[in-house]
Amino acid sequence: MQLDAKIPDGPLAEKWDRHRFEMKLVNPANKRKFDIIVVGTGLAGGSASATLAELGYNVKTFCFQDSPRRAHSIAAQGGINAAKNYPNDGDSIWRLFYDTVKGGDFRAREANVHRLAQVSNNIIDHCVAQGIPFAREYGGLLANRSFGGAQVSRTFYARGQTGQQLLLGAYSSLARQIAAGKVTMFPRREMLDVVIVDGQARGIVVRNLISGELETHAAHAVVLATGGYGNVFFLSTNAMGCNVTAAYRAYKKGAFFANPCFTQIHPTCIPVHGTYQSKLTLMSESLRNDGRVWVPKKAGDTRRPADIPEDERDYFLERKYPSFGNLVPRDVASRNAKEQCDMGKGVGETRLAVYLDFADAIRRDGRAVIEKKYGNLFQMYAKITADNPYETPMMIYPAVHYTMGGLWVDYNLMSTVPGLFVLGEANFSDHGANRLGASALMQGLADGYFVIPYTIGGYLAGTPQRAVTTADPAFKAATQAVNGRISKLLSINGHRTVDDFHRELGGIMWDYCGMARTNAGLEVARGLIQNLRAEFWENVKVPGDPGEFNQSLERAGRVADFLEFGELMLIDARARQESCGGHFNEAFQTQENEALRDDENFCHVAAWEFTGEDKEPAFHKEPLVFENVHLTQRSYK
Amino acid sequence: MNWLINTLGSSIGKKLLMALTGLGFISFLVGHLAGNLTIYGGKDAFNSYAAHLHALGPFVTAAELGLLLFAVIHVATGAILFYQNLQARPERYKVNKSGGGRTIGSATMPYTGFVVLAFVIFHLLNFHFVDKTHTTIFQIVSEAFASPVYVLIYIVAMVIVALHVSHGFWSAFQSLGANHPKYMPFIMGVSVAVSVIFGIGFGFLPVYISLFS
Amino acid sequence: MTKTINLTLKVWRQKGPHVKGKLETYHANNISTDMSFLEMIDVVNEQLTLDGKDPIAFDHDCREGICGSCGAVVNGRPHGPEKGTTLCQLHMRHFSDGDTVVVEPWRSRAFPIIRDLAVDRGVLDKIIQAGGYISVNAGGAQDANAIPIPQEVADKAMDAAACIGCGACVAACPNASAMLFVSAKVSQLALLPQGKPEAARRAIAMLCSADKAGFGNCSNERECEAECPKEISITHIARLNREFFKASFGSSVQ
Repeated sequence: MQLDAKIPDGPLAEKWDRHRFEMKLVNPANKRKFDIIVVGTGLAGGSASATLAELGYNVKTFCFQDSPRRAHSIAAQGGINAAKNYPNDGDSIWRLFYDTVKGGDFRAREANVHRLAQVSNNIIDHCVAQGIPFAREYGGLLANRSFGGAQVSRTFYARGQTGQQLLLGAYSSLARQIAAGKVTMFPRREMLDVVIVDGQARGIVVRNLISGELETHAAHAVVLATGGYGNVFFLSTNAMGCNVTAAYRAYKKGAFFANPCFTQIHPTCIPVHGTYQSKLTLMSESLRNDGRVWVPKKAGDTRRPADIPEDERDYFLERKYPSFGNLVPRDVASRNAKEQCDMGKGVGETRLAVYLDFADAIRRDGRAVIEKKYGNLFQMYAKITADNPYETPMMIYPAVHYTMGGLWVDYNLMSTVPGLFVLGEANFSDHGANRLGASALMQGLADGYFVIPYTIGGYLAGTPQRAVTTADPAFKAATQAVNGRISKLLSINGHRTVDDFHRELGGIMWDYCGMARTNAGLEVARGLIQNLRAEFWENVKVPGDPGEFNQSLERAGRVADFLEFGELMLIDARARQESCGGHFNEAFQTQENEALRDDENFCHVAAWEFTGEDKEPAFHKEPLVFENVHLTQRSYK
Repeated sequence: MNWLINTLGSSIGKKLLMALTGLGFISFLVGHLAGNLTIYGGKDAFNSYAAHLHALGPFVTAAELGLLLFAVIHVATGAILFYQNLQARPERYKVNKSGGGRTIGSATMPYTGFVVLAFVIFHLLNFHFVDKTHTTIFQIVSEAFASPVYVLIYIVAMVIVALHVSHGFWSAFQSLGANHPKYMPFIMGVSVAVSVIFGIGFGFLPVYISLFS
Repeated sequence: MTKTINLTLKVWRQKGPHVKGKLETYHANNISTDMSFLEMIDVVNEQLTLDGKDPIAFDHDCREGICGSCGAVVNGRPHGPEKGTTLCQLHMRHFSDGDTVVVEPWRSRAFPIIRDLAVDRGVLDKIIQAGGYISVNAGGAQDANAIPIPQEVADKAMDAAACIGCGACVAACPNASAMLFVSAKVSQLALLPQGKPEAARRAIAMLCSADKAGFGNCSNERECEAECPKEISITHIARLNREFFKASFGSSVQ
């Protein structure tokens, strides 16, 4: 199968306008004849549901949380980028586009990224109109701050809770449409399969998490906005419920999975401190605006940070990257922290941490200013670690945070299954091999508010469809398959808990497919995962019944999918014989230990097709063509 | 007028009723206390205050009816609130602990309210609905407070009134929407002051009368 | 410094909304003081699972204090004894070896128990649906800087907008009232110029919705602001009251 990204012709800056004109439209009176299913209520799903309903479509929206307001977008702290150029510091749509492509190490589609930069300004306008209390200057105009990978201040923020505020904005628009009867909301439902009829996505099977009943829903198109798969690592900054199941089920039904090995390890997280730990906590990247990252110059230095004099400290990011300093992109910052720790210069009890020091900033601006900017983050840090970051430097270490890979989509955000659209983190399209800070919120909302409302209309208007109800045999077959799997999980009654398997899987992924990868390691890991998966299906213990509120069963299904999906990540990582962005294969690095791309052979999207249980997935290549930017070795020096 | 019923029947509407009637009672108590203080001027001063008051004739009746109306509203609304609030948590917590918001006054509002109601009825029966044709108000009062039981009842009642007012006063402002970071500390201060003044001001009267009359 | 403690837990177990529940006793041993409260329950649940018993059901998701999923009443205090903290951010270092810890669900008629500590807070969504939004469709907005909003106003609005919808205010209120939750949204949108056109309708509709849901009445006990993990102040309730009076007596909205 030839992958067709359906990128419109014409100059980059005109592609989106031209495409919007060329797409077929559904006339306003006809929109109410179409039903659309949206799975997930984060920034992408929430905004898509609301906007599609505003246009007049009948929307059915699903989330596994008890309320659409709790999707994990809510935890994003730092901000959202837009090319407003309010600070007058040289920003433009083109610069945002260029920074994002470069930040992604030239593994994203030019056309998608440019569109993202174009609509970024509309997002800010819309969010302000929704009543989102963005930070403001004294004069009442919007404030901006800097983020990694950019030399302009283009990040809009609402204290350290930008994701929360943007999500609550989308949620409020969604609430309005629920009240208007245009969206039917189904909380506490987990999507367990997508239903394909005549080759088109026409519905889903969900489990009602309270009653345990399996429910089927039919529609004219299905939109997945189900987030990323970072929890394959067990420990990540994702919420406990984040999972790959919806995307992976779609993959098994024919949607290709693109670049699964592109995972982002975020540099500023609170270090791991015990085996019981259930998740990692991110400290916003915005902290790197004022915090200075350092380690002792001498390996094995166990003195307290205050006892280490200035000239015995190594501010390694400032030293190595004088022009970006502490604001280098996330992958670079993370890898450098790992490198320092590997050299024995790590700090803290586990020696797996580096300092993030605000002493200079507090001296320069005063404690009050720092408190105003980062108060809630400092408080969060203090709460978790019982350390006071106003007095002693924070300790940070990289942690899995975001996954750039996802279901393959074309320019219209449609997967390889007609009628199955994928938005936000769940798709692969905009961030290449590394996402810049404050871009995830931008992409989620761009997809939901300003892209899908157009492209789904183009699909619906241009695709002949027959009437399908849930009585169709395809729904029955899908339900039976889901049922069979649930019964199997409950019948094993082995000796290890679901979390126990998950934790072991995470360990394998982190050790072999984390910040640095080797071919040998990736192969070892495949064997380990296969064995673990086999053991899971013989020895997992899932208590309770299928027909009740059963959180162990929910987790078991997710972990079962992670155990398969993890292998796909390893396969993808092994196939990509280069280093780029978040994918760092030790065999491919520059003399300065930077990721060394191979544009000759790997300037492409790797899209994987499911070919059957325990069979090798089929590889498909979408070449990436760069007509507008010149591929360079990224340099943040 | 449907809107008015809806407004006053809503949870904030009920707060409004409680606040307005409550503040009405507090103003009344201020006047009542001022009048009662004439007792310290002696028998004649007190009797002449009573005579002046009654000389107002229909105004007194109007005020009394107004107070009665306020009482009906305050008590009825309070009873509804008490019942609804009880219903709102059918299964109670096994362990109860305050996070630091509650005060003795706030936590006991319905109960102190009930006691105050009982006291007011008792008080009216003793001093208001009595035949005053052949006696003076001072005489009635001094005879009543000759009994230590009466004195004790009145003192306890006044402590309870003070408790009720300690929450009721500032709470009324909060209910009316008058909460401002600049003024609220002052209102809270006044709330405590008013309740102490009521407690001591009214509470010392029976003691004074029983000792010195 | 990390150390371990042993606790006796008394946890509310209830199979469903219509069956009787009771406190069951469990032992949580070798609990690291660096654990969060939910991680401690994870440990207990792992053991219960291996022992063939039903693990304790509880809602949780982000575990960084922002999603609002988690919450239980710990020794009589919603989200436990620490101020401004959600249950997932409550660390075991705040407990001592040998403590007995009683864990109960949010208790309110409006929050039926689903199972054990998990309750149904769907009515909070209903309240937002009644008017907790600004009616603006995607695509039509003017430039974001067209309306300057004084920093102080934006900050106040943000204070209110910080609400995570966890329901601790209801759990803490002696009357099981949701007034702090309602006020946070009404106040945020009433403060901002974008919210003014619909302010009257919003205040009335959201209050009516909350009243219908079966919550108790606010009697200014201030337990909500004392227990709110985001420390939202009751000044927002006062603003809600003002907005409601303005809407009821000063607008044509019925």
